[in-house]
This record gives sequence, structure tokens and C-alpha cells, in this order.
Amino acid sequence: MEYPEIDAYASMDSPIHRFDPRAKIVSFTLLIFSFVFVNEIRIALLGFLFSFLILLISRLPLAFALKRIRMVFFFLFPLLLVMPLTVEGREVLNITGISVSFDGLIFASLIIIRALAAVTLALIMLATTRFDITIKALYALKVPGTLVQMLMFTYRYIFVITDEFSRMWESMECKGFRLKANYHGLSIFGNILGMIIIKSYDRTRRVYESMVAKGYSGKPNTLVHLHMSTKDYVLSTCMVGIAIFVHVYQLMFTV
Amino acid sequence: MIGAVEAIRVKGLSYSYSDGTKALEDIDLTINEGEKVVVVGPNGAGKTTFFLHLNGTIKNPGGDVWVFGKKISDLKIEERIHQVGVVFQDPDDQLFMPTVFDDVAFGPVNMGLDEKEVEMRVHKALSKVGLEDFEEKVPHNLSYGQKKRVALAAVLSMEPRVLVLDEPTANLDPKSRADFINLIIDLNEIDGITTIIAMHDVNALPALADRVYVLNKRVVAEGSPREIFSDWSLLKENSLEAPDVFKLFKVLNCFGYSSDDLPLSFDEAVEILTRTIEGTEGHIHLHIHEHTHKEISDVMNSYNHHRNGKE
Repeated sequence: MEYPEIDAYASMDSPIHRFDPRAKIVSFTLLIFSFVFVNEIRIALLGFLFSFLILLISRLPLAFALKRIRMVFFFLFPLLLVMPLTVEGREVLNITGISVSFDGLIFASLIIIRALAAVTLALIMLATTRFDITIKALYALKVPGTLVQMLMFTYRYIFVITDEFSRMWESMECKGFRLKANYHGLSIFGNILGMIIIKSYDRTRRVYESMVAKGYSGKPNTLVHLHMSTKDYVLSTCMVGIAIFVHVYQLMFTV
Repeated sequence: MIGAVEAIRVKGLSYSYSDGTKALEDIDLTINEGEKVVVVGPNGAGKTTFFLHLNGTIKNPGGDVWVFGKKISDLKIEERIHQVGVVFQDPDDQLFMPTVFDDVAFGPVNMGLDEKEVEMRVHKALSKVGLEDFEEKVPHNLSYGQKKRVALAAVLSMEPRVLVLDEPTANLDPKSRADFINLIIDLNEIDGITTIIAMHDVNALPALADRVYVLNKRVVAEGSPREIFSDWSLLKENSLEAPDVFKLFKVLNCFGYSSDDLPLSFDEAVEILTRTIEGTEGHIHLHIHEHTHKEISDVMNSYNHHRNGKE
């Protein structure tokens, strides 16, 4: 089974990889929010192109990035079919009484482009830093401890649970089980999921015990060694600048 | 050993699970500093539950555990984890941090040590278990044996005076198993750490035990490995076994071989055999009499109780 390794290419080298993780998280988050709140399609398109440019600079393999971005596109694609029919506005086509609106088309495209820009940025942010460092950066940024710990355990145990699942799956296949979309197949699949939950529940108890045995008292405790350099300040200032500029530009042209 | 400082003292410890099942009943035992003690007992005998009491992970007002003369419930967390470190069976349960470094640093950070000291301890603990330069690795990329060693390092970094290990040799390949056993022996003999181990691996037991406790919800027996393994009815009642070498020499005794001690391990067997043969002018004499067959089948029956009466 394939591991969901978002940080498989974190050990590469590029200006984005070298960007201080804390500054990266802050400036990328601001950029994401900025691009998502744009409501002019041309500016949204520029935002998307900018995200794509950063993707190129980050040197992440395009196949790796596109595979993930594609999934979001498939998820949003139906909007392109539905919105022209539902949003009122200038008519471009009239197919036997059903009107296809131009505004609907534009609105759907706007949503999709903004989403793709945001996902591309989020992907670059997560894929260019080792996930454990991302977690530490969040910790250093004073993100609430419970959240940091949830992320930490998700990251650690998703692999353990994936392994557990594939072992169970293999043993079922060894006994002749083939998943079919019928009642039997689905009920068996339900059982295996239930089993995973029970096993995880037992494991949480054992993990908690071993944490207590090492003096855990509720706080996430790790050492963080991160240092901001001049480059990091310059890069983050530029990015924050772009995030703000996009909205100033939009104000100037829409007023 | 180093005088007779009491490392662990347990008095009248009882514990029941939340569903009412009795896990431990009236446990009394004392372990001195520097000792190597092995706890044996069938599955579900409460060994793991017992171990969780030794460093106060299970808070149990119904029983008293003293660590170096202090009651465990009175100790602060930092003190408690510094006195007794517990290594559990499944390393995936213990390596819960994103990287090896974070895992090994977890205990020391909780003890409130400063960064330099934490880093030093992580480095020291990792080199102790032979995993230098593993700091940045993530646990899911390690082999089972490596995970097991990281789990040990994560406890050693707290520099505990007593080390408790649950099934340290389970699921390891022979080489990793031998390495792990030698590591534990070194920790005991060189670093003077008191070790308490639960294990089913009887062939490895003699090397790791000065003394053995048989635990089956209560302390059933206590003694040297030789005493415990000689008592076949005790072994039978508690689903335990004796080392193969030990059983083989019992059979040799029936053939007329006589030696004062029965060996518990392969190395010991070689040593005893050599000594006996040298002492009897270069050869030993084995023979079969009429009663020999009867004696052998008695030995086989008493020690092969796991075969369910199959001859």
C-alpha cells in the first residue's frame, strides 16, 4: 500500500526548501488567504500563475504536484457544469429552453482557479519541509498544543495504521476474499474498518501509558532549532507584500 | 553486588482491571540495586500490569511500591522517571514522536533539563544502543530491531537506575536478539543499572537473571534460574519451560553422566562438559541399564508437558 508521503521531496534543494519553515508557514498562509478572497477572475488567474511559478522554483517534480492538484480539480469540476445553469446572468447559449449563463461560467471558473491556487501553495508549503519540521515550526509559532499534538500523532501513526490495514487486507485476500460492491463485500469491509478503530483505540492506551512513563504531563515537549536569516526576512516580506498588493490592486480597479 | 541497597520493594500489591478481573494479588517482592531479575509467567499473568506499577504509570492506592526507599506515589514525575525506566514490548507504542531525536529527547525534556544536556543525553543514549547518526530518521523507516533499540535509548536517556523491560527479545532475529541481550548485560554490569525483565525466552533467561520470580497473578515462586528450572511441577503448573540444554543434561544424567551442576546455557554446557571430561582422564562413560529407559521417559514426561501427552 502506498504511504501518503506528502514530504517525500523535502530533502531537495531550492530557495523554497531553504525558506525558514516558520516564515514559510506564515507567508504562505497569508498568500493563500489573499488569493482565496480575490473576486476578480483576472487577478485570480494571476494568483494561480504566481503559485505555479513558485511550484516551478521549488523544483518539486511536476507529476508529484499535479497528481495532488488534479484531485482537487476533479472534486470542483462539477461546478463548471452546474453553475452556468443555476446562476442568473448574461445568456451565452440556450439549449432547448435551458439557459447557460456567462456569469455562472465565470463564477465557477473563479472558484476553481482560487481553489487551485490555494491548494498549489499549500502543497508547496507542506512538500518542501519535512513534516516533523513543519510540526515543530507550528509549535514554535505558538499554535495551540492540542492541535500540534494531534498533527504529530496523525503523522506518526498514519504509517502504523496503514501497515496494520495492509496486513489485515493481505490476510483476508489469502483467505480468498475479493472486494466486490455487494452486500457481503461491503459488510466485510465495514468489519475491517471497525477492527482498525478498535486496534487503534487499544494502541492509544498503550501509547499514552508509555508517554506517562516518560513523564508526559499534557504539553507537547520538543526542542526546536530554527534560525531566521536575512534571506528569510526578504522572501517573507516579498510574499506578504504580494498578498497585500493583490487586494490593493483589486480595490483600485474595481472602484 | 553493591551491598544490599533496596532498589524496588513491593508490599501487598493488588490490582483489578476496570471490569473486575483480578490482575495482581498480594504481590510481595524486593529487588536489590545492581541485581538482574527476570519475571516469568504465562500470558495474561499480569507482568505488564505489574511493570506499569513500578514507575507509577498506573496509580494504585491499593498497593505500596517503594523505589530506593521512597514511596512511588510521593515522588514527583521527574524523579519517578529518573528512578525507573520502562521499555514496553511493542516499539511502535513507544516511539510516538516524529523523529528519533524527538523520541529520545522526550523524557529528558520532561525532566526539565536544559537543551545542551538533552542533546548530550540523546547522543549518549543512541551511541549506547549502536545507533549513532539516527537522530533525524523517522520511526516508520526503521526496521523492527532498530525501533526496539531506539525504544531502549528513549528510556536510557532518562538515565534510570532501574530498567524494566517487557519481552525485550520477542520477534527479533537471532543476531539482533544476541546483540540486545549483550546490551542489557552491559547496562547491568558496566553501568550498574538494576534490570527487571519479563520474558518467555528461556534459552536467553540464564544470562539475564541472577534471580527469577514466577508471577501468575501472585508471586508463585522465587529462586535462582537453576532452582526454578529444576522444579518441573512448578513449570508445568505455570505453562513454563526449561532451557533445552538443561533438559538434555537431565537425560545425560540418566545415561550415567554425572556432574555437580546442570548447565543452563550452551556456553555453560561446553564449559561443564570440558571440565568433566578433563577431570575424568580424557573421556566420559555413558551406558544403558535396564532402568535407564524408565528414567529417561520420566524426565521426558516431566519436562515435555507441552506436548499434551504425545510420546
